Amino acid sequence: MNALPSPSTLPAHRIDGAALAAHLEGKYADRITGAFTLPAVPAHWAPFPPGLPTAVVDALRVRHVERLYSHQRAAWDAVERGEHVVVVTPTASGKSLCYTLPVVAAAMQARAKALYLFPTKALAQDQVAELLELSRAGDLGIRAATFDGDTPGDQRRAIRVNGDVVVSNPDMLHQGILPHHTKWAQFFENLKFVVIDEIHSYRGVFGSHLANVIRRLNRICAFYGASPQYILCSATIGNPQEHAQALLGAPVTAITESGAPAGARRVLLWNPPIVNPDLGLRASARSQSNRIARMAIKAGLKTLVFARSRTLVEVLTKYLKDVFDHDPRKPARIRAYRGGYLPTERRGVERAMRAGRIDGIVSTSALELGVDIGALDTVVLNGYPGSVAASWQRFGRAGRRQKPSLGVLVATGDPLDQYIVRHPEFFTHATPERACIAPDQPVILLDHIRCAAFELPFADGDTFGPVDPKVFLELLAEDGVLYAEGGRYEWIADSYPANAVSLRSVSDGNFVVVDRTDGRQTIIAEVDFSSAPLMLYEGAIHMVQSTPYQVEKLDWGGRKAFVTRTHADYYTDAIDYTRLKVLESFDQCVAGAGASHHGEVHVVRRVAGYKKIRYYTHENIGCGDVNLPDLEMHTSAVWWQLPQAVLDGLFTSRQDALDGFLGAAYALHVVARIAVMADGADLQQSVGSGDGAWSAQADASGRGRLRALAGGAPALGAIERFTPTVYLYDNYPGGIGLSEPLWQRQAELVARAMALIRGCGCRAGCPACTGPVLDDTLDPATSPKAHALRVLAALSAA
Amino acid sequence: MNTTLARLQVLQRQTGAQPTRTAATAPRSAARTLPAGVAQLRALLRLREVPTVAHRANAADRVLPGTEIAPGLYLTCARVPGDPLPTLLDGTFDRRSFIDPQRVLFFDTETTGLAGGTGTRAFMIGAARWRDGALEVRQLTITTLAAERAMLAEFARWLEPTTILASYNGKSYDAPLLRTRYRLARMADPTTGLEHVDLLYPSRRRWRGVYENCRLCTIERRVLGVVREDDLPGSDAPAAWLTYLHGGSARNLCRVAAHNRQDVVSLARLLLHLAA
Repeated sequence: MNALPSPSTLPAHRIDGAALAAHLEGKYADRITGAFTLPAVPAHWAPFPPGLPTAVVDALRVRHVERLYSHQRAAWDAVERGEHVVVVTPTASGKSLCYTLPVVAAAMQARAKALYLFPTKALAQDQVAELLELSRAGDLGIRAATFDGDTPGDQRRAIRVNGDVVVSNPDMLHQGILPHHTKWAQFFENLKFVVIDEIHSYRGVFGSHLANVIRRLNRICAFYGASPQYILCSATIGNPQEHAQALLGAPVTAITESGAPAGARRVLLWNPPIVNPDLGLRASARSQSNRIARMAIKAGLKTLVFARSRTLVEVLTKYLKDVFDHDPRKPARIRAYRGGYLPTERRGVERAMRAGRIDGIVSTSALELGVDIGALDTVVLNGYPGSVAASWQRFGRAGRRQKPSLGVLVATGDPLDQYIVRHPEFFTHATPERACIAPDQPVILLDHIRCAAFELPFADGDTFGPVDPKVFLELLAEDGVLYAEGGRYEWIADSYPANAVSLRSVSDGNFVVVDRTDGRQTIIAEVDFSSAPLMLYEGAIHMVQSTPYQVEKLDWGGRKAFVTRTHADYYTDAIDYTRLKVLESFDQCVAGAGASHHGEVHVVRRVAGYKKIRYYTHENIGCGDVNLPDLEMHTSAVWWQLPQAVLDGLFTSRQDALDGFLGAAYALHVVARIAVMADGADLQQSVGSGDGAWSAQADASGRGRLRALAGGAPALGAIERFTPTVYLYDNYPGGIGLSEPLWQRQAELVARAMALIRGCGCRAGCPACTGPVLDDTLDPATSPKAHALRVLAALSAA
Repeated sequence: MNTTLARLQVLQRQTGAQPTRTAATAPRSAARTLPAGVAQLRALLRLREVPTVAHRANAADRVLPGTEIAPGLYLTCARVPGDPLPTLLDGTFDRRSFIDPQRVLFFDTETTGLAGGTGTRAFMIGAARWRDGALEVRQLTITTLAAERAMLAEFARWLEPTTILASYNGKSYDAPLLRTRYRLARMADPTTGLEHVDLLYPSRRRWRGVYENCRLCTIERRVLGVVREDDLPGSDAPAAWLTYLHGGSARNLCRVAAHNRQDVVSLARLLLHLAA
């Protein structure tokens, strides 16, 4: 296949990212669809502010900081003016000093306290280490500690009473600190700063929860007479100020001009070569990513490969280890990094990377956050991460040493990937995605008003953020949770409501993976609830640092998977499908000859089986059945339907109509994700009947197949009321506000989907427009592509 | 987990509110106006209607013993005669030298639950001290939430800087709970700085492995020979108080009071036993 030549054609001596980029561009011009250079940026400096204590200045000088970047000074000035601040600058631009300086100064001068919130425990530990290092450098006497689920009981009291800076996470604040606020009285009385880093990660459900946790925090602070200032940090997003203000419910000053220098960066968009022009089939992204990474590592460049799934991380790690780590006596040069590894394992990888002992690291989005892993030269994205912002953030991992670096985005066959690499201007000109939260979503509100009432009683006229909570309080009183007396609502139930509210998901309980090889009983990994059906079915190959284990037994109720070490030459991939049923239509409008709706749907997701895929050849060598409980949720969706009479007029057979709907769904999903900048995981598409009796999926040849409620495949002709429906739905229980805006723009989406399909060069349909179609003998006039256009034309108003 | 923002918008439209049309601002502006009534919210959230369980009791069943010393706060006093006390008790069992019995205040709270955190409150505080050759037992019970302040203030008056608190597991449970309640009421915590003899720990040291467990009711039965009649299990105490609060019968709340009174009486006897 279109293999890259041996890396030995590269100059043997060490080269930099720019040289590798030039080499790739010279050799593979046909695969590179876009190339841009981000020029080196010089530093913009500013002097230390006069209000900064001399001891802090001395401590910074010990650490070779002689002056500040302009954005660090701008943050100090804004904080001094008493404003809430959000700092939006690239990775490794010295963001943490923006909050460290005011926090440390206030702690030294007034014993003021600060609360830091990071989305993960790992980031919290990094931050404490950095604070303590600065404190030691200048003998500042700052007491900082992490406070999370891992903090031993005997240290907790000391931290509550003595900590100047308490570093925690939103979940701990929600479940461990606020419901026990009286123990933290001294801390809250003196709380001057709340620092929230990585606010771009608080989107959707998590962000909506966090906004409510902040409302609760402000309520508690007010009780103790404190009104802390917030200092927020974010990676580049389209609406940092708006997002920060939505989280805080207060005006926020945005600092968006970075004063940090950056080395030049070359970014290449890479489309794997076509191997079958009629089918639109391309070489796999993983083989291309693997080879680019291999070349970079052989050339002495520290390389990071981002993959979109945990399985793919393990597969790519194995490929690179096969080349670089075949001698088990030597320390590993290639490591994998992803969620689900035990914390110690992850810390180990981070340390080894910082120390320069690792040459290649393969990761999921877990490394997208500010985990410190030191300097990198090359970043390869195996697949578009779903947003422009995330792409830039990942590319930002390279080039920390202010020398030229390289970023390569390797497109997969995914239509969104294909759209991006074929429209490079989109990549450079699109504004980064906007973070969106819905803090007043009533389910979330009810959860947090319940928690807030536990923490402090509500009195008549109290507000919760901007919300009048009265109707929620009355409901809770009716349920016997609160007791209304003399204009106050007091908690009287014997329960601890925060424990019943998870900020991150509705799922309960992680699965642990237990290795039983040779009579062992060792926990080797954790898997979150929603991923478990996709990763831990019996027969699955579960990989940890690319060592394969086979799942022997899954204890669903006990949340355990028992595995043994195996030497299989294949990995497994779950086959899952989704069925939707309309519960209620909130709104509808005419869409051409049909209708477009927006409303509430019931979604059932089932893992039906799995495929075994051989390494390197990627051939399918077998499959197996999976018997697991369905995952169900209610969410909101936008959907399109055509009346049966219209269908009968348009199509000679129901199969044609079904193919048309599948193709239309595929294309609508592509344009919708771009329209609302949704991560692929957040917005999903499906085709089925409106009543949930059946769902349809494309089979391996690209033609539609039905699946009935019970799991069998009903005959198309046997269905009494044939109402195929295209759904786009929010992949969050309760919905998170994506589908309503899509419904508002439904005519535009249909038009865009038609333009996408018409503009595609394929014959019968391909991964870039209507989905892959294998049969290359199809008449273009009756292909799924043509049918999809027919469906969309019928739905278009014109 | 079965609602959407959209449902809310529909309800708003039904109630005549302006539909929100701008995609970017819809989620935020949408929820500013929430459903007007509980029934509407319940429908929106698809929550089940929960019938209120309270059965209104007639006036005769609502009578509580004692005196209403402040609105909603009842005080009962009783004297339990006992043998003459020594001037000083041997405190070796609690790793201290001597205990002046005149300084000891036994106390025990009855609470709305065991969940912990700021949402749990005491609705009853029982206390006992030796005076004039007898054990003087006083109990405070609140029948309204607003009476909590008065109860906390009254209990504070029972404590002096020289008081030695005595309890069973009070160091980990009752005292921190009261500290939280004083903090929430913005009152100084009168237990701060007082000596505290928690009889759970010496009891454990002496009887762990000897009896089936070291709960107070076990120890008092095995060691002191106390047999309780018609005792209400401690786990039923929250329901007893809530029933009364919601207008129900006082019967079980009176049983809670009896249970609480026996607790502090047993505490005093247990201290004498341990010090003997």
